[in-house]
Amino acid sequence: MPLVTVRAVVLQSFAYSETSKILRVLTAEHGAHALVAKGAQRPRSRFGGLLEPFTEGTATFYVKEGRDLHTLTGWDLLRNRQGLGRDLVGFAGASLLAELVLRFGTEDADPRLFEEVTAAFDRVLDGAGAQCEATVVAAAWRIVVLLGFAPQTESCVSCGAGVSADQSAPFDPSGGGVACLACRPGRRTLDPVSREELRRMLDPGGETPNFVRPRVQRDLLRAFLQHQLAPERSLRSLEFFEEQLAE
Amino acid sequence: MPGIGRKTASRLTYHLLKAPPEDAQRLARAIQAVKERVRACERCGNLTEHSPCVICQGARRDQSVVCVVEEASDIAAIERAGEYRGLYHVLGGRLSPLDGVGPSDLTIPGLLARVGDGQGVEEVVLATNPSVEGEATALYLHKLLVPLGVRVTRIARGLPVGGDLEYADGVTIAEAMQNRREFGT
Repeated sequence: MPLVTVRAVVLQSFAYSETSKILRVLTAEHGAHALVAKGAQRPRSRFGGLLEPFTEGTATFYVKEGRDLHTLTGWDLLRNRQGLGRDLVGFAGASLLAELVLRFGTEDADPRLFEEVTAAFDRVLDGAGAQCEATVVAAAWRIVVLLGFAPQTESCVSCGAGVSADQSAPFDPSGGGVACLACRPGRRTLDPVSREELRRMLDPGGETPNFVRPRVQRDLLRAFLQHQLAPERSLRSLEFFEEQLAE
Repeated sequence: MPGIGRKTASRLTYHLLKAPPEDAQRLARAIQAVKERVRACERCGNLTEHSPCVICQGARRDQSVVCVVEEASDIAAIERAGEYRGLYHVLGGRLSPLDGVGPSDLTIPGLLARVGDGQGVEEVVLATNPSVEGEATALYLHKLLVPLGVRVTRIARGLPVGGDLEYADGVTIAEAMQNRREFGT
């Protein structure tokens, strides 16, 4: 039963029995895990307020082979993100990013995914307000790419022919990317500006664009997630995120 | 049953088996009565045998202040402190998109109706838990309540009374520092 100490971020936290909590965390070197923090709900618990969603820390836990739930023994705070609760769009957006990882992340180590998720939480926290929507949408696309669901943007999803970047192109969410005008399997057409914004969002080192048509990018992300990642059970946080943007 | 592990369950079972039959029947009747009689107060959502509950009907309660809590059990905690004399409103949870809990799952329309229908509510105290989700819920309610012209306040956060700074966690200390106030106020 090895003891592991690793950087981790809390994606979800809920009560377990009278006094404990179950955490679903993403770690830098051990992927996504569920941990039980015994006694975390006691008034004088050593964990106190450390195990809140989006909080980052150095977690120490026992890994039990063949078990899904490991026991947390220590948590040293690295980054407190309580401020996400003080901005509704930011809170909804961070919840969406967390849900993406919770639904589709695995126990396989992926340091790039960990860095992207934690950096995205920071960007959402620091950039609350007008730019928050673009920050969340861009982070969601990058997480989608890291989870292995990247959309095809340079060639037709039906025939494989190249689709020039400077032209409008149909986007087929069920096919997983753009199509050529000859195939046109999808009804949704992306203009060149929106295509360029999407390309920049998919670039791991790219800057978050200022959306010319935010609604187009939001609809595109929703349609892609719906068809490619969550066809049977929609992402709960996405609906809440869109509701907050509409307010 | 919450708080009842395997050992406690065995002890309770042996105790009931040893006890006179009428004791077990009384316990069964009590459990049945709780399920039949206790329900949510039609005004505030508190658990009560008689609706409206004693707090809503209390002549000495300050009818101009409503304290919003996540669960009915939070009311008992605030009442134990003996400091607050206003009314309550139980939300039935807090916003949690990851758990599929949205605004429509909470008793927000009932709260807005109480505040907006001219019953003399002047202040709403948001006493949701000091968690990220509780904070977001308070913010959501604040946005809805301010246009109704009431004073909206939030319970304070920080170090527990009798606690020791040395043993407090970093998040609690950070919140306490952010929410520090002028000495003597």
